[in-house]
Amino acid sequence: MSHSTVFSHLWNCRSAYHRQNRLDIAAASFPLPSSSRCSLQSATRAASPPALKSETRGFKMGLRVWLLWWRWTGVSPRRENTQPTGWSKGGKNRNSSRFLAPLRLRRRPPRAAAVGDEMGIKGLTKLLADNAPKAMKEQKFESYFGRKIAVDASMSIYQFLIVVGRTGMETLTNEAGEVTSHLQGMFNRTIRLLEAGIKPVYVFDGKPPDLKKQELAKRYSKREDATKELTEAVEEGDKDAIEKLSKRTVKVTRQHNDDCKKLLRLMGVPVVEAPCEAEAECAALCTNDKVYAVASEDMDSLTFGAPRFLRHLMDPSSKKIPVMEFDVAKVLEELELTMDQFIDLCILCGCDYCDSIKGIGGQTALKLIRQHGSIESILENLNKDRYQIPEDWPYQEARRLFKEPDVTLDIPELKWTAPDEEGLISFLVKDNGFNEDRVTKAIEKIKSAKNKSSQGRLESFFKPVVSTSAPLKRKETSEKTTKAAANKKTKAGGKKK
Amino acid sequence: MLELRLVQGSLLKKVLEAIRELVTDANFDCSGTGFSLQAMDSSHVALVALLLRAEGFEHYRCDRNLSMGMNLNNMAKMLRCAGNDDIITIKADDGSDTVTFMFESPKQDKIADFEMKLMDIDSEHLGIPDSEYQAIVRMPSAEFMRICKDLSSIGDTVIISVTKEGVKFSTSGEIGSANIVCRQNQTVDKPEEATVIEMQEPVSLTFALRYMNSFTKASSLSDQVTISLSSELPVVVEYKIAEMGYIRFYLAPKIEEDEEMKP
Repeated sequence: MSHSTVFSHLWNCRSAYHRQNRLDIAAASFPLPSSSRCSLQSATRAASPPALKSETRGFKMGLRVWLLWWRWTGVSPRRENTQPTGWSKGGKNRNSSRFLAPLRLRRRPPRAAAVGDEMGIKGLTKLLADNAPKAMKEQKFESYFGRKIAVDASMSIYQFLIVVGRTGMETLTNEAGEVTSHLQGMFNRTIRLLEAGIKPVYVFDGKPPDLKKQELAKRYSKREDATKELTEAVEEGDKDAIEKLSKRTVKVTRQHNDDCKKLLRLMGVPVVEAPCEAEAECAALCTNDKVYAVASEDMDSLTFGAPRFLRHLMDPSSKKIPVMEFDVAKVLEELELTMDQFIDLCILCGCDYCDSIKGIGGQTALKLIRQHGSIESILENLNKDRYQIPEDWPYQEARRLFKEPDVTLDIPELKWTAPDEEGLISFLVKDNGFNEDRVTKAIEKIKSAKNKSSQGRLESFFKPVVSTSAPLKRKETSEKTTKAAANKKTKAGGKKK
Repeated sequence: MLELRLVQGSLLKKVLEAIRELVTDANFDCSGTGFSLQAMDSSHVALVALLLRAEGFEHYRCDRNLSMGMNLNNMAKMLRCAGNDDIITIKADDGSDTVTFMFESPKQDKIADFEMKLMDIDSEHLGIPDSEYQAIVRMPSAEFMRICKDLSSIGDTVIISVTKEGVKFSTSGEIGSANIVCRQNQTVDKPEEATVIEMQEPVSLTFALRYMNSFTKASSLSDQVTISLSSELPVVVEYKIAEMGYIRFYLAPKIEEDEEMKP
């Protein structure tokens, strides 16, 4: 039986069903690309070796039915292979390793954050989610009770100014017309932390390092642009644009910082003024066991070496975003890098201190660092025609800022004291037009949070030990799959360039 | 290769019901000595330690030490399919991603195999030193369960104080306060109804009732519960599992605010 007999039989069958609109079928029965049609023929040939002469009728029928079904639906197990290669490249491929992975369930796969809102190191969250998923853990907000946590204040104030009480261009203000969103935000979120038994320490930025001035100037000019566009948008009455642009014009001023410091001191919450960068100071406090973790949205904190770094701690409870905890030691372990190499990786990804090499994103940077070990060696080996290295590229200076930032540990002992009721009422209600009832209630909350005796943690009594039993095959499989996935990705990334 | 045959299968069901509320995922460790588990709750306040000794199993084969990560809710789903009189066998092959629970009916006329996927769990293992406790209270487990349940309708915390008089459980809440005192009582007909207090020093500690209540889920495993208290240590609530081992719950006390704590 040659394949043409199968074809004609197939054709007859179909005609019998659709005699009326045969023409349509003729057109519709070959919707597949030519390559698939070839494979149909080869499939038929493969399925009809000489031995088929003696085949039973049942098998013939089965083959026919199968072919019919395949022609009608256009779906077959073969179809995927017959697609031109590269057809399914792109987003889908990225997850394929997850589907092909063994049956083992994964606990809480870390969610990659949107890249757009990344601060500090560009694309680092995604890079870590792809390459060091074990270094990220989702934690409940409540699980940080009793912990001292250093909060990057400037970052929080900036967020409050953008989000709290804003509709279009209007923000919360006091009688004098000064913005009070930052106070509202700082007051409420700090109370939320205190109520959860968390002990926050707010760290404020000092003088920015010289290198950051470039970045700051860029931000300044962006803000200028946004301000211009905003006036245009207001003239045109474009509401969405107003909403978007007015957020971009937000700037944290010295006044905002001073207001918040005053508020926090009145609330009995310790404030630390960093000599230079707040993230660096936070990281230093954490490294020296003054605090348990650092909370910021700025991925810089990891580059500064904060052993534990939390994102989304200061997000409003209404958003229901779990806190994401990063463990720097695990990051290094999973990426197979030293801290110095990780800092170089961050500089290559793009940091606040200097430009990065155009065309080198996180994935390529990771590959290069793994291959060459340091920026110097990468520069020696990099194809200079393909990648343009910035003319004035102070990466060594940036590296120095990350490695030896200007920080101080000479700070007074961190103490959480009772709130100054009268002070708070006079500052918030009289000076800034807050509702007195609400403030009084909030003060009650602070006091009751303080009075509650706090729950101890087991780790303060028992110390972790290394478990002696080996997991049932676990390590080998997981390593293989992640490595294979990583290889695939780097290859794909390399080809694109 | 792992093969553990437990004639009294209901025991495993009860163990699981006892810890399921506290911990969702845990690593079961198997070694030559027995089948054990150590896991903390998500907030690292309470810890459960389980030991089922090898001798307690009818057949115990464990070629090398290994740990199996399981989701306890999924495990409970499978064990719920076992009859109360069934013999349960836990099996796992080297290099496998799954564990198999085999249920045999007592008459051997029905055999069910349930295969469960394992998971990757990186959990911290805490070293728990053997220590002398200032006070050890042994009392009927049903009594302790009743006390915790009653007190939690009044307040969220319980103060457990042991003096020469006896052991006092007290709480207070918005609607009022409550005190329950249990005295030493060894003159009972049945030994499981006795209350025994061994005290070196008087001790008083505060605990969250929520956790205590979830510990009492283990009451079905043992008629008696042992509560060990020391002012410097978490409380230990222990239920002995007859001839097999124990299930111990550790709970960190509540601490007064003034004390300087670790970061």
